[in-house]
Amino acid sequence: MRTRKWITLIVVSLLIVTLLVSCTGTKGTKAEKYGLFMSHMTNAFTIEMSDAVKSKASELGLDLTVYDGGQDPAKQVSQVETAVTQGISCIVIEPASVDGLVPAIESATKAGIPVVVVNQMISKPEVASSFVGVKNVEGGELEMKTAAEAMGGKGNVAFLLGPMGSDAQLGRTEGYYNVLKDYPDIKVVFEQSANWKTDEALTIVENWLQSGTEINAIVANNDGMALGALKAVEDAQLLDKIKVYGLDATPDALAAVKEGKLAATISQSTTEQGKVAMETCYKLVKGEPVEKEIYVQFTLITLENVDDYLK
Amino acid sequence: MSEKAINEKSRVNLASIRELGIFAAFVIIMVILMILSPNAFARPANLINILKQASINGILATGMMYVIISGGIDLSVGSIVALSGVIAASFAHPGEYPLIVPIVLAIVTGALVGFLNGVGVAYGNIPPFIVTLGTMTIVRGIALIAANGQPVFNVTKEFERLAGGFVFGVIPNLVVYFIVITLILAFILTRTVFGRRVYAIGGNETAAQVSGINVERIKVAVYTLCGFLAGIAGILLASRIISGNPTSGQAYELDAIAAVIIGGVSMSGGAGKWYGTVIGALLIAVISNGLDILNVSSHFQLIIKGLIIIIAVLIDIKGKRKL
Repeated sequence: MRTRKWITLIVVSLLIVTLLVSCTGTKGTKAEKYGLFMSHMTNAFTIEMSDAVKSKASELGLDLTVYDGGQDPAKQVSQVETAVTQGISCIVIEPASVDGLVPAIESATKAGIPVVVVNQMISKPEVASSFVGVKNVEGGELEMKTAAEAMGGKGNVAFLLGPMGSDAQLGRTEGYYNVLKDYPDIKVVFEQSANWKTDEALTIVENWLQSGTEINAIVANNDGMALGALKAVEDAQLLDKIKVYGLDATPDALAAVKEGKLAATISQSTTEQGKVAMETCYKLVKGEPVEKEIYVQFTLITLENVDDYLK
Repeated sequence: MSEKAINEKSRVNLASIRELGIFAAFVIIMVILMILSPNAFARPANLINILKQASINGILATGMMYVIISGGIDLSVGSIVALSGVIAASFAHPGEYPLIVPIVLAIVTGALVGFLNGVGVAYGNIPPFIVTLGTMTIVRGIALIAANGQPVFNVTKEFERLAGGFVFGVIPNLVVYFIVITLILAFILTRTVFGRRVYAIGGNETAAQVSGINVERIKVAVYTLCGFLAGIAGILLASRIISGNPTSGQAYELDAIAAVIIGGVSMSGGAGKWYGTVIGALLIAVISNGLDILNVSSHFQLIIKGLIIIIAVLIDIKGKRKL
């Protein structure tokens, strides 16, 4: 019994010593380390965003590590905390939750580490050093305005929404209704969440088309859902009657615009956001002044200009 | 011997009570929706639409039914759907490979994952919930890596027609696959030695072992079959949305399990009828369709679906007490 206690004590003390040694080891190196914390890495948008940040980092010759939060705010919080204790120089974060990441970001900035929040604004923006993104409301407004003008200011519209309560869903949908105030003759006949998913949107729109209610345009919170809607409309041979609009300008949506099937998509200039965010981070480390909020413009993509965006 | 016969008899009675309950519930819900939406819900075109929408879940549920009757569970089918869909779409670009290539590759992938699940459960003695929870996340990861996180699009017309086509111009291909697969698997379950052994190992594994059944081999076969069917479902979903989407199929395992449970298959294994599962899958599709047409928010739909699952299990428990 006693020997076992001694062994445990020795093992534990060895562990503590190694831990201390490794800590001082990382603190000793002076190289600047940048971290990109993505909410997840599972769709075209997040991939484009991280690619943009990575390319800007290599352009500036910076050492960047990318962390995948797996859509789990708790995981992202611990990733940020770990990076802070390991002495990171600057954080670019695309938050997995608008509320959940606030404490972690606050403790990072309090520790003197600048934090650039990208794309999705957190609920307490003042705790971050800077925000780079778009105004989701503006994206929704641009999308709805495009649809409303194509409809000639009257008719029935149906909305496919993202997961209820997400920042993008709320902002974009608010944008739709802002525009509809100017178009009293446009009626919203259906409004349903398809959780950003193509397959869910396909099923929902198939069901809408069975309802017998006339629909002139389907406006979706993202391209994934717009493409599901488009498939349902195409299968029902109603492409000439129902126009479908998306947002995000993903590669498959751009291809559908090019084919003349998807009426339009809106680019939230993801690459631009990522590049500006990385640049802002670099400036903050260099001690240069930056704006507290930096907004990137949305771009409307239709058949006319789609070639500029197809890579 | 005589005891076994009695057991079998009571099982039949028990099952028929459950299936009767679910059949009644199905009819009642159909009638309610027909009354609420006479001009849309009840139209033949919509009824075909419902069958079409039930097909992919129905195929998954059939595989899940085998697993649950054998006393297990498979949480990995949704991820298999995504992976096989991504693989199928990746090999279905125009001018690259003949149509058979994506089909075979995707199905083999699904069956392989199922096989590994089976080996983990049968020979590793790991609880099925844990093995398949593990493969669920692993396979999702592989799908995301394979597709680089983005949908794989630009597939051939032939590939699109796999699920998008029609037989005699009216019956969607999907429905035909659903019916054919269900009938074949119903036959295997009820008319072959293998099928009876699946029931036997789910009912009482020790007894099955003692009576000379190779329990491990049956389990591996059951999980492989489930993975195989998930592979087929993945191809069909990819064909339906004309892209292989690595995030698709999320929570499909839950819909498949729900269909099986609603259909009266016992979660503890050993009992259940194939047509219960078919009705379970149809019921789920009917509910979503009817509520979408009535423009009921998807959030309320979740509540209604959940309530129906709990009620189905309640019927299950009450049925057991009676015997």
